[in-house]
Amino acid sequence: MNPLVRSVRDFCVSLRLTVILLALSLILVFASTLAQVDLGIYAVQEEFYRSFVAIWQVGGIFIPLPGGYLVGGLLLINLLSAHIYRLKLEWRKAGIQLTHSGLIVLLLGELFTGLWQEDFQMTISEGETKNYSESFRLYELAIIDTTDPKMDEVVAIPDSKLAGAALVQHPKLPFRVATKAYYPNTTLARRDAAALSPAAAAVPVATRGVGSSVAVTPLPLTYKMNEMNVPSAVVELIGDEGSLGSWLVSPHLGAPQTLSHAGRTWRVELRIARAYKPFSLQLLKVTHDIYVGTDLPKNFSSRIKLTTPDGRDDREVLIYMNNPLRYGGYTFFQYQMDSSRGQTGLQVVRNPSWLLPYIACIMMTFGLLLQFGLSLRAFIAKRRATAKSVVV
Amino acid sequence: MAAVCFSASGCRDPEVTTYRVSKETPPAASAAAKGPAAAGPTTMANTTVPTTDGESLTWTAPAHWQAKPATAMRKGSYAVPTDGGPPADLSITAFPGDVGGEPANINRWRGQIQLAPASDADLATAITRFENSGLTFAVVDFENAQQRVLGAIIPFRGSTWFVKLTGPATELTKEKPAFLAFLKTVKPPSTP
Repeated sequence: MNPLVRSVRDFCVSLRLTVILLALSLILVFASTLAQVDLGIYAVQEEFYRSFVAIWQVGGIFIPLPGGYLVGGLLLINLLSAHIYRLKLEWRKAGIQLTHSGLIVLLLGELFTGLWQEDFQMTISEGETKNYSESFRLYELAIIDTTDPKMDEVVAIPDSKLAGAALVQHPKLPFRVATKAYYPNTTLARRDAAALSPAAAAVPVATRGVGSSVAVTPLPLTYKMNEMNVPSAVVELIGDEGSLGSWLVSPHLGAPQTLSHAGRTWRVELRIARAYKPFSLQLLKVTHDIYVGTDLPKNFSSRIKLTTPDGRDDREVLIYMNNPLRYGGYTFFQYQMDSSRGQTGLQVVRNPSWLLPYIACIMMTFGLLLQFGLSLRAFIAKRRATAKSVVV
Repeated sequence: MAAVCFSASGCRDPEVTTYRVSKETPPAASAAAKGPAAAGPTTMANTTVPTTDGESLTWTAPAHWQAKPATAMRKGSYAVPTDGGPPADLSITAFPGDVGGEPANINRWRGQIQLAPASDADLATAITRFENSGLTFAVVDFENAQQRVLGAIIPFRGSTWFVKLTGPATELTKEKPAFLAFLKTVKPPSTP
């Protein structure tokens, strides 16, 4: 065998690599737990676990660490290589092989969850019907053709595209969208009321809409759990015959901004990213029970009417703690509640690989039971043989 | 493995999407109507809205106005239905100080519906003033061919509150009495 191939093989199947990777996992968990104080859980998940290299900041020192994808990926390679290299189809090794296979499924499950899971929320008021959920942190520039009196035609441009300062051209739009400026976290004030800070003065002024009278002050990104980054952008719409003007867009702006072009009317807004569903939920009633004589919450529940446009489903469901609604590949968990305003907040999760951790646990349980069972049987057989030989 | 991760990570970058949806109806006013009830005319939705912590005005919106969620810029926001057309928009905002004074703000509103700035002398005759619940209201009403603005400027304890209704000119003619009645419900928080 080629010495290079052999050394790569030996590296991949090495038990020493397994131990080093497990030790690195411990360090990663330790560092990310401390980093969570400043960054919050979401940023920690993204920067430490869903990355190849994590940077841990301790005071003013930046310490590079292998990220979750690197450690997990190498562990997976290590496990798979060892599995293949040492594979012997023997009954007495079936338990170990099943356990290791379960571990592989578990690692893959985490990878797929990181890649595919969608995590949204849906806030509904009593009597209101909604057929979309909203992101916890992503925004989108919605350019909505409102000409049709019944239907809106929406082109949703993710904020990551605006942040990249790209020129967006789409067949459904008779103009191109150019980002003149994008700020991921901002505060707004009335321009004539605010003494402009240097940062606010550097922001381009919109030529159309309310933006010309608004001062935008960029803020540092926040990672706190109870705060949200609220972006603002100045976008220029460019038609065939030149610029149509530039607009300031921000979720902070309450008033809709419209324009007429090519005989159609459009609304432009930067809003929390939406995910529309092929069904709708109407909130019938929220219930917030407390233990008698105390303010301690006993139960939160939301009575929901679930309907599909084709009439196939039209039923009431009760969502409460630990009793989510599972429908259409989505899971709706009771997440927040403001019973004084008759509002409920549902967490909406879609994870096509949600079954994998369960399958992995079942495989590992059976693998270990099989392995211990076989060992026990061998042990008992050995003892009996020993006892017989002593008697003889 | 790394290639799988890189390529799959690329798939996570969201793309431009398009879809058709039914027009949204503004959220039912019932959500906002859960606040403490105010004593007011029976035609009102009985929604006293505490707008900010501390020194903030309260008001009672007409029953047919549909409350929209307040934003960082707006203390109150309503969709005012019109006959068949898009709803008119009512905003309530507040800023510290005099925000440049009445003429600057009224001319800013005029600019929003493509009207030329008016001189101080013209504005002096265009502003209708009245007092209610200890507050001074400066009310203006102007229109271009399509759009009309009904506005009120209310100084209150070192800040200035703005109430502005923008919509189709013909529709706001019908809405003006309700707008003026609404202004009469605007009160300092301690006023019964």
